[in-house]
Formats: sequence, structure tokens, C-alpha cells
Amino acid sequence: MQFPSPLFIMARNSISVWEYAMEDVLQLTKDQLDALRELGNIGSGNAATALAQFLNRKIDMDVPMAKILPLDQVSGLVGGPEQQVMGIFLKVMGQLSGRFILLIPTNTAVKLLQALMPGFEVATPGKFGDMETSCMREIGNILAGSFLNALSVLTRVPMLNSLPSMAIDMAGALLDTVISDMAAVSDHVLMIETSFVESQENLRIHIFLLPDPASLDRLLEILGVK
Amino acid sequence: MPEIYPVGMADIRIAKAPDVLAVYGVGSCVIVAMYDPKSTIGGLAHVILPDSTGIASERLNPKKFADTAVPLLYQTLSHAGVFKGSLWAKVVGGAEMFPPTEDFSLNIGKKNTEAVIDALKKLGVPVMAADTGGTAGRSMEMRLDSGRISLTVLGESARDL
Repeated sequence: MQFPSPLFIMARNSISVWEYAMEDVLQLTKDQLDALRELGNIGSGNAATALAQFLNRKIDMDVPMAKILPLDQVSGLVGGPEQQVMGIFLKVMGQLSGRFILLIPTNTAVKLLQALMPGFEVATPGKFGDMETSCMREIGNILAGSFLNALSVLTRVPMLNSLPSMAIDMAGALLDTVISDMAAVSDHVLMIETSFVESQENLRIHIFLLPDPASLDRLLEILGVK
Repeated sequence: MPEIYPVGMADIRIAKAPDVLAVYGVGSCVIVAMYDPKSTIGGLAHVILPDSTGIASERLNPKKFADTAVPLLYQTLSHAGVFKGSLWAKVVGGAEMFPPTEDFSLNIGKKNTEAVIDALKKLGVPVMAADTGGTAGRSMEMRLDSGRISLTVLGESARDL
């Protein structure tokens, strides 16, 4: 007997998402992961260009990866769970949904702000004012917007980002908030990860895109690797 | 030398004096610590979500949810030979890391905390102390010789709970 697709059921009856969500991300094949990595490649290429224009600097990009991580390893992703970082978090909305997170070491954030606002006296990371905060949120907005725009063009599915939220705290604490409700069913999370490097001042920005488990089926279908 | 055992997301661990159970970088997750001073056995549950309702039982990881992880920790400690009558709990975490924007608010830390307190009430385990909510991440270590928890927030010195 043929069952209707999980997304169809959700749309009609709005049954609990989790019961019909994508099977465990551990079941993803190598081809599927390659396709997701390529998606990351296209998105981050566009985002890197946008950042380079915004900063008027040369930005290099690491090869993106589509990673499946066990929950207990997530908190140590960027220099250990207690490492102080700036996190900029956005929701991806539309037919394909997910999360978009930038993690920026605080000294990099300060240098970015100095580059963007020459002459402005940037406060220490714990004491950021409105100017610093809104400037960093704007960077998040630009990066997420250009990343998702490239994906929308590729998949022909419109994707929008929410307004960004920003916090400075332990990397582990920022990440657990972002991934916990994506991990209701699976004990692993799928993340498309890349980082941008500006070599002149050695600035590094980590970028993570996490497709919602409920969107993953649809995404794989669009990419032709379902 | 006491061993330090870290407890990762969606994990439950128990240990005995003089060892130490620790969690580093807690955001919206809630850490439930249970301890029995008589047997000096204690455990931590690293809860990530409030409610397991709606998840098919064969896919359910009981260590993730407040309503299942708290009873599981209690059960595990009972099997390990604690005196249930002298068991108490402390609760740490449940912060809102990202300030709400016009588009969304996560609010998951508060729900986690409420669900954990509720589950402890059902089991009849008294809550000795709690440090929850706020907007800052926490790290904690629980020494099983005394049950004392040392709590750290970025930029502040450690304090006892």
C-alpha cells in the first residue's frame, strides 16, 4: 500500500511534525550528502561575494561540508563549549525551512566592526551598544540573505530569512539553543558548514545551515537525490 | 584523584564520590542534578526539550525530554542503590540565549525549566536549589562528595549552588 508523502499529511492534518518527519539523518547516502554539500557551496559562494563587497576586502572560503554530528559533539564545534563567541541566528522560512547561524570569535567581530565603521570607537564585546549590535545583525542579514537567495534561484523555491538575533556567550550554550528542537526525533543533526577567511587580518566566520528535519525530504527531492 | 565526567546533550550519567559530573556551555537546555548524601551517589540529566508527546515510542530517546529523562534518572539512581528518602534535586540552565526579534522568540529555556520542575514534583523529589532562566549560558560541576555545584557564567567567578 502506498502512503501519501509525509509533507502532504502534515499540510492536511497538521499532525505532530515529528511523527512523519524525515527518517533519521543517519540514513542519508553519500550522494545525498554530496548534493547537500554542493548546495552549501553555491550558497556560501554567493555569501562570500556579498561579504567581500560589503567589507571591500578579499574573502576566501573553505570547502563546505555536509556533516552529520551526534548531539553531544555539537557544543564543541567552534573551539570548545566554553569558548566565547558571537552568535547570529536567523530562521529560514518558506516551503523549505531551517536555521542559519553565524559563529564569530569575538576578536574577529571587533575587527569586522572596525573595518566597517572606520573612526568609530568599538566597545569591548561584553559591552556592545546599539551601533555594534545592529551592525553585526546587518552582517548576518546580508550573509543569510545572499546565501538563501542563491539557494532559491537553484531550487526555484523561495526562501526567506527572519530578522537576525544576536548574542555573545559560550559557543556550547548558543548552539544547544539552536539545535535542541531540531533533534526531537534524531540523535544526530545535519549541518552544512563552511567558514570564511579574510587573510589580511586573519578574520574567520563560521557559517552553519541546518535544514529542518521536516524539510529534508522535500529538499532532497528538489535536488534530484531522493 | 577524582575523575571529571562530562555529560553531553541528551545524556544521563550517574557517579559516586569522589568523582565529579560536569556540563560545559548550557544554554536553553536544563540540567537536573539528583543527589543522595547518604550513599554519595548522584547523577545528571542533560534535558534538551520539555515534552515527548507525539513522538512514536520506537523512535523516542527518553534521555532528551524532561517528562521522560527525569524519571529515568530517578530510576537509574534507584537501581544504583540510593536512599530514595534522602534524594534531592538541583536544577540549572534554561536560559534564553537569543533575544527575541520581531519574527520569532524561542522561549524554549522557560518551557524546559517548567517541565523539569513539574516532573520532579510528580516524583516527589524536593528541589534544593535552582539557577534557571536569564540570558547567559552556564557551566557547572557537581562534586559527589558533597553534592555541591560550582556554577560559572562567562566573565564572572564561580559560585556555589
